[in-house]
Amino acid sequence: MSDVKPSPDRRPRIVGFLCDWAVSSEGLVREDGTMRDLPSVTLIKVPCSGFIRPSWLEYALKNGADGAFVCGCPLGDCFNRLGNNLIADRVVQMRRRLERQKIQPDRVGTIFYGLHEQAEFVAAVREFSDRVAKLPAPPPPAPARKAPAAPATPAATGAPSPGGPSRPGPTEGGAGETPSGAPPGQGGS
Amino acid sequence: MYKRLLDRLLRWTLSLDVWINRIYPADFNPLYYTGGLSNLFLTVLVLSGIFLFLYYVPSFNDAYTSVQYITGAVPFGLNGVPYGQIIRGIHRYAADGFIIAILLHFFRNWFTERFRFSRDEPWISGMMLLVFAGFIGVNGYMLVWDQRAQLLVAMTGNTLAAIPIVGGALRSALFGGTGTTNLLLPRMLFLHVGPATALYVMLWWHYVRVRHPKVWPPAVWTLFSLGAVFLLSALIPAASQPLASTGAAPDRLAVDWFFLLPYVALKYVTPAWLVVLAVVIVVYGLYIPYQLPETPAAMGIRDSGIAQVVDANCTGCELCYFDCPYNAIVMVPSPHPGVTRAAQARKELAIVLESRCVECGICIGACPFEALELPGYLEEDIQGKVLDACRT
Amino acid sequence: MQEESVPYGGWIALLALVSLVSVIGMFWGELTNHRLWTGGFIGVVLIAYSFILLLLRKGGLTGV
Repeated sequence: MSDVKPSPDRRPRIVGFLCDWAVSSEGLVREDGTMRDLPSVTLIKVPCSGFIRPSWLEYALKNGADGAFVCGCPLGDCFNRLGNNLIADRVVQMRRRLERQKIQPDRVGTIFYGLHEQAEFVAAVREFSDRVAKLPAPPPPAPARKAPAAPATPAATGAPSPGGPSRPGPTEGGAGETPSGAPPGQGGS
Repeated sequence: MYKRLLDRLLRWTLSLDVWINRIYPADFNPLYYTGGLSNLFLTVLVLSGIFLFLYYVPSFNDAYTSVQYITGAVPFGLNGVPYGQIIRGIHRYAADGFIIAILLHFFRNWFTERFRFSRDEPWISGMMLLVFAGFIGVNGYMLVWDQRAQLLVAMTGNTLAAIPIVGGALRSALFGGTGTTNLLLPRMLFLHVGPATALYVMLWWHYVRVRHPKVWPPAVWTLFSLGAVFLLSALIPAASQPLASTGAAPDRLAVDWFFLLPYVALKYVTPAWLVVLAVVIVVYGLYIPYQLPETPAAMGIRDSGIAQVVDANCTGCELCYFDCPYNAIVMVPSPHPGVTRAAQARKELAIVLESRCVECGICIGACPFEALELPGYLEEDIQGKVLDACRT
Repeated sequence: MQEESVPYGGWIALLALVSLVSVIGMFWGELTNHRLWTGGFIGVVLIAYSFILLLLRKGGLTGV
């Protein structure tokens, strides 16, 4: 996170997941997925808000985003019946997990808007962005313990090096065919 | 062109939501609970119907009088059944409410296209429910055996007889003979109570592909609907028309617009045309889920593909099984252990039933072990997009 | 006194009063054998309750 440049206009970098059946993104997003009114917010379209794995929100936070949100259909009107209620529950749990890792839970959130509510959606994203901007920067990640190494290099004393020996990296992705057992670090959710 | 019409209807339907959501919080919006409202009215109908059934006599001489006895009308006054008038009114107005709720449910699910892919089964069972509900409502009006009932029987008979070849036989079968015989009312009572019970069987079919069906509306609407039904039955007491005459049937009746609309149509079209119209409407209704192109590309969304279980990672935890809104995932005894350590210890394996999967991906969100993927939205694709977003 | 701090407080109080009057009306209907009135008042009480619940929710006093 420390080697990613801060966003140019000092607005927090936000990744948003938007489901296909919720608020229409027509006219709101540019070619590259960033919102026209809020250029530091990028929207990723998914088939249903329930499709989002909470680990992806954490992945965004650990890779340079200051905040991540999911937008689904209005509660009670999910096109796939249960998706928005499920993601609401999962994100509530994710927020508690992030808090245990000393990451502010307000960095992730869920909002729910229907097809016609573009203005309310943009206002809610702006409010989310403002809220994230006010949060203090998270503490640098603590270095994981060095594995006992045969060469007699003494372990770093005092402050950890900027890169960190094994900084918590992105969750092991892909189709998961690796026989490596549980994913490393803070993987999974 | 139909697609454009449907699009416009969808936008109009959802813009109605915006108005309603200004008054009601989203989880109290009645349009999101039209199925639950229908079930509420059905329950009220069954309970009030049992009450009425205990006093109703299905014979020409006694049917009308038994209803007068229930409602405490003129010859009986205070000797009538206590609260009979209220409960009869509740039965009638809950029936109207039932049809309103069903039609709202029908139109909303049609215009918001909630019949796509494998969601056609609730649709087909729903059409059957609608037809049965209409039928039950009409012969409810016949049971009272007042002048309206007499006219309804005559009109129904004429309409059935208009069907070529089998019409006459159908009419005899329905009414127990040509003309009105003593078999008519017991038969109508059976055809009222029997199909009402059959509605629950069809409701089972309606729910079979749906997990956690919302069978009750929120409390605000339960209270409001029950209150409205009570209040209406006090303000506009449900009354019978005059007793059926022994001579010819009268030629006009007071219309209940919810159930008797097809009979009003008989003023303008001949019975044969009414039959054709009814058949066309029902057949078209059954065809609706199959009318639009099914491919996601034609719908303008990316093709997700059927959810795929990654056998190596599945631990049999059942989270996807409980979260799938369409009961498209089943757990089977694991035929072989998985590859990851957690998966090696599994007793069960998740299987996606392709015929039921609507490619929504909710199971992917549920799985903590990366054992499910949507081919069109792989985990690595999503992570790639997130990384791109973090770099802009 | 409470009404400024509780949104819709006035409306909730009014509806509660209507419900109370209706309950008295229910008893009266029972005692004077006007059973239609009893049924009507039951309806009024239920409708009033539904609006009280709605206003409590909108006022933030109950619910999510």
